[in-house]
Amino acid sequence: MGEVPLLKDLYAQYKDRGVVVVGISLDETVKPLREMVESKGISWPQVWDEGQALATLFNVKGTPFYYLLDQEGKIAAKDIPFEKLRAAIDDLLKTRLKDQ
Amino acid sequence: MAQKSFTRLFGSLLCLLLLAVAALPSIAQTGKPKRSDREKARLDAMIAQAKKEEEQFSKSGGKSDDAHHPNLKWAATFWRYRLKHPGTTATTVATTQTFTLLSRTNSFNEMQAKADTLKFDDPAWERVIHVLLFASMRAKEYSYFITKADALTQSAADPTTRARARFDIADAYWKQGNIAQARANFQTVIAQYPKTSYAEEAEGNVREIDFLNVGQLGPPFERTTINGDRLSLADFKGKVVVLKFWGTY
Repeated sequence: MGEVPLLKDLYAQYKDRGVVVVGISLDETVKPLREMVESKGISWPQVWDEGQALATLFNVKGTPFYYLLDQEGKIAAKDIPFEKLRAAIDDLLKTRLKDQ
Repeated sequence: MAQKSFTRLFGSLLCLLLLAVAALPSIAQTGKPKRSDREKARLDAMIAQAKKEEEQFSKSGGKSDDAHHPNLKWAATFWRYRLKHPGTTATTVATTQTFTLLSRTNSFNEMQAKADTLKFDDPAWERVIHVLLFASMRAKEYSYFITKADALTQSAADPTTRARARFDIADAYWKQGNIAQARANFQTVIAQYPKTSYAEEAEGNVREIDFLNVGQLGPPFERTTINGDRLSLADFKGKVVVLKFWGTY
């Protein structure tokens, strides 16, 4: 949660370069999620994971927990710390350029 | 007349006696939690103090394996508490605390010596075995942990402890990259301890071992966002996707 401003920066920088961010909230109710999305001005899509079905599907053991998927939908990183996210995204974007 | 007042006297005495007997359990009930609450509060204060000293020590540049690390003194204090007050919930807390503090100072030999004194029916094992797993991860040396946990799966009195021990063995193999052993042990947890939280977690881990590796397709899903838009992972083909699992809490 503390990294929301940093993720906002990252999102602003990458959203037009073929990067999507999806927030999946494990909150018990949707209300605090709506309030925080509003108050922090979070603009990437948010899913409320009611009953934590997605968390189960991805075997998420704690939050925050990041998955990074490549352009083909394959898992590129699992439980990657936020500090390493940018470099990992850059790698995927670079690989893509080389392929084209 | 005399007979009557005797009956009355006897009757009121009987009443008093009955009242006293009726009151006894409630005295016992109100007396007991108070004592254990007191012990819990005392231990909580000790734990807070130990934590404070550890923070101060590391802030002033103290290393975790320093012979004068306050954790060593506190580990000894909690261990003395254990020996002096056997058989209560607080004993379990104090015991776990001893091992946690020793682990954080890399005092692995002392941990093992103390662990060897715990009988297999000790209720502290469910938590202690987990601390031993963390210690072996720090030391990158799993053989003592595996032997001990394996013995617990055979001999621990409490099924929850046996389940935890088996689960932690699986986790230890996983941490070491031994996927086959990890998977087999998680499967054992699922088969032997069904409908427990350990079985549920083990199921998630088996699924992760099978389907959530780097290079495998992320499991497809479709949901509605809080703004009412449809969101499907399949629609993001050609894009890099960051999934952030989080909570506002």
